[in-house]
Amino acid sequence: MSTKTYKKFENAGSGDLPDKMTVYQDCMNTFNESPVNPKRCRILISRLLRLLSNGVAFPENEATALFFSISKLFQHQNDALRQVVYLAIKELSGMSEDVLMATSSIMKDVQNGSDLVKPNAIRALTYVLDESTAFSAERLLKSAVVSKHPAISSAALCTSYNLLPISEVTIKRFANEAQEGISDLKQFPNIPYDEHSLLVGEFYPNSSYMAQYHAIGLIYQLKKNDKMAILKLASQLADSNTLKNQLAKVQVVKLIADLINRDPQLFNEFQSVLFAWLTTKHEAVQIEVAKVISTFALRNQRLVAPDSFAYVVSTLQALLTVPRVSTRFAVLRILNKIAMVAPERIALCNPELETLINDTNRNISTYAITILLKTGNASNIASLISRISRFFHDVSDDFKIIIIDAVRTLSLNFPQEWKSIVKFLMDVLKNSEGGLKFKNTVVEAIIDIVSFIPESKELILENLCDFIEDCEFNEILVRILHLLGKEGPYTSKPSLYVRHIYNRVVLENSIIRSAAVVALAKFALTKNDPTLKESIVSLLNRIANDQDDEVRDRATIALRLIESADGDNTNVATELIEPKYFYDLPSLESKLSNYLNTNDDSFKTAFDSSSVRRFTEDEVKAIELKRKQEQSLGATSESSTEAGTKKSKLNDKTENNVFGGSSVGEDEQELLNAKYAEELLAIDQFKEYGKLINSSKSVSLTETEAEFVVNGIKHIFKDYIVLQFNITNTLPDVALTNVSVSCTQEDAETSQLEELFSIAIDKLLPTEVGACYVAFQKTDNLVIEGFLNNLIFTTVDINPDTNEPYEGEEGFQDEYEIDSLYINAGDYVTGSFIGNFDTAFDELPAEEIAVFNIQENLSLQEVIDKIITNSNCLPLNNTQFAPSDSNSHVLKLFGKSVLSGSKVALLIKMIHSSKGIALKVQGKGEDATLCSDLVNGLM
Amino acid sequence: MSLYSVEGILVLDSKGDRIYGKYYNPPHSVSDEYAISKSLATSNKIQLEFEKQLFKKTHKKNAEIMLYENHLVLYKEYTDVTLYLIGDGNENELVLQEAFDAYRNSIELVLHNGVDKKNIQENYDLILLAIDELIDNGIILETDPASIASRVTKAPEESVTLDLDKGLLGAWGFAKSKFQERLQQGL
Repeated sequence: MSTKTYKKFENAGSGDLPDKMTVYQDCMNTFNESPVNPKRCRILISRLLRLLSNGVAFPENEATALFFSISKLFQHQNDALRQVVYLAIKELSGMSEDVLMATSSIMKDVQNGSDLVKPNAIRALTYVLDESTAFSAERLLKSAVVSKHPAISSAALCTSYNLLPISEVTIKRFANEAQEGISDLKQFPNIPYDEHSLLVGEFYPNSSYMAQYHAIGLIYQLKKNDKMAILKLASQLADSNTLKNQLAKVQVVKLIADLINRDPQLFNEFQSVLFAWLTTKHEAVQIEVAKVISTFALRNQRLVAPDSFAYVVSTLQALLTVPRVSTRFAVLRILNKIAMVAPERIALCNPELETLINDTNRNISTYAITILLKTGNASNIASLISRISRFFHDVSDDFKIIIIDAVRTLSLNFPQEWKSIVKFLMDVLKNSEGGLKFKNTVVEAIIDIVSFIPESKELILENLCDFIEDCEFNEILVRILHLLGKEGPYTSKPSLYVRHIYNRVVLENSIIRSAAVVALAKFALTKNDPTLKESIVSLLNRIANDQDDEVRDRATIALRLIESADGDNTNVATELIEPKYFYDLPSLESKLSNYLNTNDDSFKTAFDSSSVRRFTEDEVKAIELKRKQEQSLGATSESSTEAGTKKSKLNDKTENNVFGGSSVGEDEQELLNAKYAEELLAIDQFKEYGKLINSSKSVSLTETEAEFVVNGIKHIFKDYIVLQFNITNTLPDVALTNVSVSCTQEDAETSQLEELFSIAIDKLLPTEVGACYVAFQKTDNLVIEGFLNNLIFTTVDINPDTNEPYEGEEGFQDEYEIDSLYINAGDYVTGSFIGNFDTAFDELPAEEIAVFNIQENLSLQEVIDKIITNSNCLPLNNTQFAPSDSNSHVLKLFGKSVLSGSKVALLIKMIHSSKGIALKVQGKGEDATLCSDLVNGLM
Repeated sequence: MSLYSVEGILVLDSKGDRIYGKYYNPPHSVSDEYAISKSLATSNKIQLEFEKQLFKKTHKKNAEIMLYENHLVLYKEYTDVTLYLIGDGNENELVLQEAFDAYRNSIELVLHNGVDKKNIQENYDLILLAIDELIDNGIILETDPASIASRVTKAPEESVTLDLDKGLLGAWGFAKSKFQERLQQGL
């Protein structure tokens, strides 16, 4: 060894990484030595692993050479060396091109190794097996699963779990053995003192029964599509006392959560178990149960008695005072979720939360504050705000941002309390230290308040003028100048703002000067005040000599615009500076990229911007308000999708609207709709149908666990209707060919629709999703119709080797009945925003009133959700949430027809009584037919 | 409900540099290539950036548990190293706490002389083995620190007699093969 390399080893101890080439050379030399020197080999391997752990990668040929020489070390029977050899094999298997050479040595160890290395060997199998070789490990894994040694059994269960995606068939063969692993309480065998301490020192294992946890996880994956089997498993485990491991118990609670999410009625069955486990000694189980019950209760209010919910809250309350930080943290996260939708239910915890504000752990105190802000009501907002201001200056920027966000939501929920909130925000904006991101959040919150709470405008704008006198961030200054330009002209004394803005022109850099010029121009253009205009023109004339190009340009343009505005009112200037409508940006983006891609005639036809959705300012505000309200809800529905979306694929995404008001899916839904529309319009037959006017959300027409999962979407054209059916084949070993849907009108004789043709799917392999279409010609009227649907297809068995149907097989023709699909008035309506609902409602000419009685056992919220989905209208004035403390509610909906654009408004009064829910729907609209159809078809 | 609840294990030093780091990705799962190449589990660059930011958030903050970029992070600071366990943001906090306690305590057990940077670097093999017995591809394998420590082998002793044995055997084998060679040539 040269002095140089020697030095490198010295350094290795003191912190620097060993040199890659040196380690490689040493490994290659030492591993190939005979006899093997176990001590030195182990040192070298750990050095090698240290390199790998720090992200150093070896080229494939070197990795393969290393893998090869390391697998030679299997010849040496030393358990201490063998364990690190396995570590190296696991790490290198991903880089080496050939891993098969180690397989037989590993399998030998699985069979004959000592109890110490057996688990390591079993776990290494995950890395060396693939689709074609996994079956060969069946016998080994099976006997390891039933081993009495807990470590061996756990290792085999975990390896089986890891191998599931590639060898489900093999592992299913020992599902029974795995299931026994749940109830089998495995103890560590006694190990003779000498032998053991020689190898590992003075440590002796305690039986923690982790195998139960692994076994439940594996069994769930094997049976997750079989609801009955899961149900049976859950009830067995819930009743018996076999579960000793707390992680296993948590897993069972998750199992139950999965079941009740699929079928809420099952909650009754598990209620007693859940509540019993709420008081176990394991905090992990308590937390999980509380999480499950609270999310379930918020989604299915009528299935959980208020008392039970209160019981959960009081358990959480007790857990808030335990010493363990992570427990308090977990409880606060749950309370936070509840606070987002039903803040009044956790008011009970307020005293504990108030003490937690002073917790030394800043994560905890911030959570406590934000929850308190959510549970806050009109009476205690002021005191809360003053409490926050007291400690606000001590926390880091991140927490400040979280708190500001909470304050912002508060201001939207309690618009009448804006004064104290604005005072607080202005104070932190002006007086507290903080980076750009934090200040930006504050400014955003302020901008929100200005746009949604008009009364606050003047006070805020004046304060902002003070602030910009002394603001170090260009970005924020520019935003504020823009806001002043937008809102300032409509205030009582615009000249005040003009002075402040002009000050910026004199004192600041060119970026801010240009923004100020635009703001000034807006004052001149939108305010019809000749003296003001005159003085602004003279200011702009002065600016037109600015040393910066951009500023000069803007000033000149502004002057020209003002000049031209003197003539008539409908001119380019106002259009440019004060646009009446805004494009829907996502749809504009997709349309533009589509335009670039389908470059048929080298861009001779201009881009057709009329097909992009446009919003007026009111609509934009409506959408933003909606999004902001949903953001606060987002966290609750996150849990509804957490079960699946992350790890599985598309079908989960389309499924998540099963849970009703899941708002997170909204954006996804839009994207999905855009995708469907694109696919539809790409089909030749539909090209001549003209513009697609409206597409409905997808409606599921089967149970989600059915053999074929079908979703229906209704596309409406001017003279046609196209029904799209998305079909998923969930059968594992059967392909469907020639899949079509036959639709018959429920009332064929009077139908105003005429079926034209249908497009079938040629072939649908397992897990594939395909779409088939049925087209109808319609009359000019609003056509309201129901369809009885039948899935018609031919099944063909699949050859498991090729994953293709057997050649020449004809298959069986079959039919499968799916739910009916209804086209109702809501499909002709789209949500729209109106600032003042009540006046608009009174002004609309046509009127229709209907009364409904709902006998089914539904909660108010469920009825509201259903009405919103059915009518397709936008809920206004925050009426889409049912109050939890009252039996009556008024829902306000507004929308417009997609065919004619005529407005329609619905005012729905509902009362919940012991007999059910009574609804009185009052609809008003410009178009009498639409109005009456909508009202009468609501339920 | 997946068993893959742990997303990563880290040991960072007092400057936030990685001493040990492992991010878990479910093996054999068939998912979007693009998503994988962009994920924390596979891109070293993203990992280093993540660690840098994470360290900033945790160093001298004394918080034990936090939510960071939708990961639950549990950590413990020692004099010149910090142990981290990273889990899915939706996982049960206390399940991860169980795993983290096992991680911390088993490392304290196998490193007799206390947890510090020098000790960890000198006994890197013990740390590797302990973590390997704790987490398998993101599955929590064992939560009892003594059970974990009882499966971590000490470094083998240098044994002279064994080498001598091997040497004699080797010499005999060599002689045998030479002898066979001669015989074959003679034939």
